[in-house]
Amino acid sequence: MNVQTRAIEVTRYSPERDKEPYLQRYDVPFDESTSILDALNYIKEHIDATLSYRWSCRMAICGSCGVMVNGIPKLGCKDFLRLYDHTPETPIRIEPLAHFSVERDLIVNMDEFLTHLEAVKPYIIGDNVDTASLPAEASLQSPAQLSRYQQFANCINCGLCYAACPQFGLNPEFVGPGAIALAHRYNLDSRDHGKTERMPLLNSKNGVWSCTFVGFCSDVCPKGVDPAAAVNQGKVDSAKSMLIQLFKGSQLQGEHQ
Amino acid sequence: MSYKTSLSGSWWRKHRFFKLYMLREATVLPLAFLLCSLLAGVFSLQDAERFAQWQSFMGNPLIVAVHLIALLASLYHAFTFFQLFPRVMPIRLGDKTLPAQWLVAAQWLAVVVIIAIVLWVVSGGEP
Repeated sequence: MNVQTRAIEVTRYSPERDKEPYLQRYDVPFDESTSILDALNYIKEHIDATLSYRWSCRMAICGSCGVMVNGIPKLGCKDFLRLYDHTPETPIRIEPLAHFSVERDLIVNMDEFLTHLEAVKPYIIGDNVDTASLPAEASLQSPAQLSRYQQFANCINCGLCYAACPQFGLNPEFVGPGAIALAHRYNLDSRDHGKTERMPLLNSKNGVWSCTFVGFCSDVCPKGVDPAAAVNQGKVDSAKSMLIQLFKGSQLQGEHQ
Repeated sequence: MSYKTSLSGSWWRKHRFFKLYMLREATVLPLAFLLCSLLAGVFSLQDAERFAQWQSFMGNPLIVAVHLIALLASLYHAFTFFQLFPRVMPIRLGDKTLPAQWLVAAQWLAVVVIIAIVLWVVSGGEP
């Protein structure tokens, strides 16, 4: 049987050995079902066991295998060799996610994203009540209430949106699309009372206003979250929140006088 | 030690998506020129001679060409803005969100209505 192969270039970087990353070429067999992740696994198992990359579920739910494929952020398991019409002269290029620092080969350090994610408090914040003592009905939610945030709850924290965002590339302090989408997801949740705790960060210089609606984050999102919509809905919220603060501020001054 | 690259100034040339974004942002340039032209017109109202100079400036084919580009730029910007609007301000009626196409269509309808009103006023209010 005639097995087709595809030429692939993969970024290699070993911090102990290399001053900077370089590309290494491999030829991997492929058919209609070979994903980018399958190709990396093939290289690791049959050609070069030293290649390092992250992966786990193979079905676009763990969010581990994000890489740049020909310069576009992709999940390795959700992108296929058959989609690239490449000749041996122009290999498919697989690089680590852009805008993050590279630890080794395709493995990036995602601490910046995780710090931002933690900062937006992506969890339901109660109203200082012991939720365990509440009757079950207290946290019931109607389908309409669920539909308000459901789209934004599909985020798998893969970081592709950060690799797509030039604003994050220019300023890593920008809270960024993924974390803001999750902040928005909890702000829209009828069971949540934490919006006032999240808004100061979203209102800040590195919050929603650092976004210029390039929109590429939504284009590359493998789960259809549309983080750009979340960030820009966040601008509407932020504008309202600032007005309310302004109003409250003047009211407080009035009380002092 | 990890390795980090910085974003080069040519980042936007790497993908069509970014080029279209830069084009959208660049529409401000001819529009800014148009606004400056109009502002100069307002200031020239102080003096009949300066107003005549401004009128001949506005009639210059090169200036007319730049203003035509400004018109196309503002239409392109409006197109991108109208497309993005339903994502930024989804309108909910009860349990349902209005379809995005309705909002886009409503905005273009508003443009047509406003143009019709402006043309009616400019033509002297004749029906």
